[in-house]
Amino acid sequence: MNSPVLVAHALTKSYGSTHALAGVDLAIERGESVAIMGASGSGKTTLLHVLAGIVTPDTGSVTFHPSVGGAIDLTGLGESARSRLRRERLGFVFQQGLLIPELTAVENVALPLMLGGTPRVAAEQHAAGWLAALGLAGFESRRIGQLSGGQAQRVAIARAQVTGASVVFADEPTGALDSRTSGEVMDALIASTTGRGRSLVVVTHDEEVAARCSRVLRLADGRIVDEAVTA
Amino acid sequence: MITLRLAWLLSRRTAADRSTVVLPVIAFAVVTALLLIVSGGAQAFFSWNDESAFLYQLLAVVALALLVVPLVALGGSAARLSARRRDDRLASLRLLGATPGTVGALTVIESTVSAVAGALVGVIVYVATAPLVGLLHFRGEPLGDAVMLHPLLIVAAVVAIATLAAVSAVVGLRSVIVSPLGVRTKQSAPRMHWVRVVIGVAVVAITFAAMSSLQLAAGFGVVLAVLAVGFGGTVAVLNLVGPWVIRLVASGQAKRAKTVKKLLAARSILESPKAAWRQVSGVAMTSFMAVFAGTGVALLGVMSDRGDMNGDSLQLYTDIQTGVIITVVASFLMVACSVGVNQASAVLDRRALYVSLDRLGMPVETMNAARGRAVLSPLRITTIGSAVTAAVVIFPLTGMALLVAPTSLAMIVGCLAAGILIVWLGLLATRPVLTRVLADRSPSL
Repeated sequence: MNSPVLVAHALTKSYGSTHALAGVDLAIERGESVAIMGASGSGKTTLLHVLAGIVTPDTGSVTFHPSVGGAIDLTGLGESARSRLRRERLGFVFQQGLLIPELTAVENVALPLMLGGTPRVAAEQHAAGWLAALGLAGFESRRIGQLSGGQAQRVAIARAQVTGASVVFADEPTGALDSRTSGEVMDALIASTTGRGRSLVVVTHDEEVAARCSRVLRLADGRIVDEAVTA
Repeated sequence: MITLRLAWLLSRRTAADRSTVVLPVIAFAVVTALLLIVSGGAQAFFSWNDESAFLYQLLAVVALALLVVPLVALGGSAARLSARRRDDRLASLRLLGATPGTVGALTVIESTVSAVAGALVGVIVYVATAPLVGLLHFRGEPLGDAVMLHPLLIVAAVVAIATLAAVSAVVGLRSVIVSPLGVRTKQSAPRMHWVRVVIGVAVVAITFAAMSSLQLAAGFGVVLAVLAVGFGGTVAVLNLVGPWVIRLVASGQAKRAKTVKKLLAARSILESPKAAWRQVSGVAMTSFMAVFAGTGVALLGVMSDRGDMNGDSLQLYTDIQTGVIITVVASFLMVACSVGVNQASAVLDRRALYVSLDRLGMPVETMNAARGRAVLSPLRITTIGSAVTAAVVIFPLTGMALLVAPTSLAMIVGCLAAGILIVWLGLLATRPVLTRVLADRSPSL
């Protein structure tokens, strides 16, 4: 770990009278994994959304430091520029996978590359490489409904990484899985991100998932109330 | 009593899922309004009792028959939408121990109430638009008040719509009652056999041969029988071959797709070619009939230009032309409504997926373009395929019409193109639904 890839400063965000974020300062280092924990309504998902440029904070700033090129102020970007940044530089894994059921596994993984303009053949070749790296060689043509929950989540991990994202955001990535599969999925997620020098931000309720990350933040009422570095 | 109390509890909704109630009501309103308008128009013809009335009434029945398919499809869409949007909550009730009887009763109550509410709105729309329909001219006169249906007929239509909703709800929710866990299956669409095409080509070839040898046939009865069987057979073939052709074309498109929107559209059609066909099949018969009638009208037009027609024949020629245009436009309008209802409900059903794609950075234009292609591609195949089939079946006549009266045929082609445009507008109307879904930035999504 050497330099931050994401720096958030004095973030606040309210939904009506609810203060989801009430002044959060945070830096995500390159190559580290950070777990964000807290009770329901503590603001952890909002923090993830603000860090990823999905929503803009009411006040404060989020700066993205790519490995190549100058720093980018996410809060100063318009909707389409943030959309493009998410497509090309960031990766996402959702609780239910949220893969497109009509597409095959390899097509799902190739999607972000194709959206960025990579020709389909090249995108699918690259996607197949990621599937193989995550133990899904031979599953390329399977549709999502033909995969188990753990396999589908590994497809989602491949999709999050395929563009070479600097940071991968995972929102309860194991929430729908049993404990054994959950462990396998987290192993795959950490190995494919921090194992390759990328950063991982995970929102979770699960202490076992959090324990696998290098740092654990705890939120309450929109503030970071505890921070611990794990072994 | 408990069932009624549950129904009342389930009917109280938050602002977020208000669309669950509003969409089926709108859909049933459109179905009812169109049903009443079409019936009112047909009724106007049956108020005549002079010599030429019978021919007009016969043509009105043909037009009604053509509009029944898209109208039933639209009614089915509305009913399925009404039923499907309750799947999850009703499955939860089953898991909590509600009996199949309670779930069934709830389904019927909810669907019927939204159908009746929609139907009543539809009646208001009909009453408001009937004077406009009355302005249509046939036999040189406006249809006038004759398009107003008797109140008892209107009540019957409302009852019919409510019954359709109730029956569809029961059929659609069988899966919830059979298995509380299995609401949506994730099976691959069943593959369709190529034998469908062999049968289709054979029927079209036989019909073509029968039509070609019609002049050899002796009596009027034989001619009518050949026409009826040939027409019916070809329409049946369209239903048999349509889904197969749509799957074949989509399969090729999926293999060749170079962009995300093309890939998504093709894969979504392949998910269920039968559903894609069902959505647009209403225009298959209309398109087929438009070419059939259009050819006849074109040849009649040539006779009128030569001065071979008397005043009555000329009037009949003009009226048939008007009738064909109205039927084509009405049937496409119904398909457009059906597409609008299905698409709006699909966006709401898959809101979590669309939100996730937005977060991944997929532009909303790509999502809309994919949705549009998934509807318009089967629509184009169906419209053009049916028109070409009709042209083949009555080939010598279409060739003749094309040579002697190309503008008349061009008018039919223009009507079909306008129909596709109407469906495209129906799709366009569903864009705000997706925009609203994506605009919801609440952290729960």
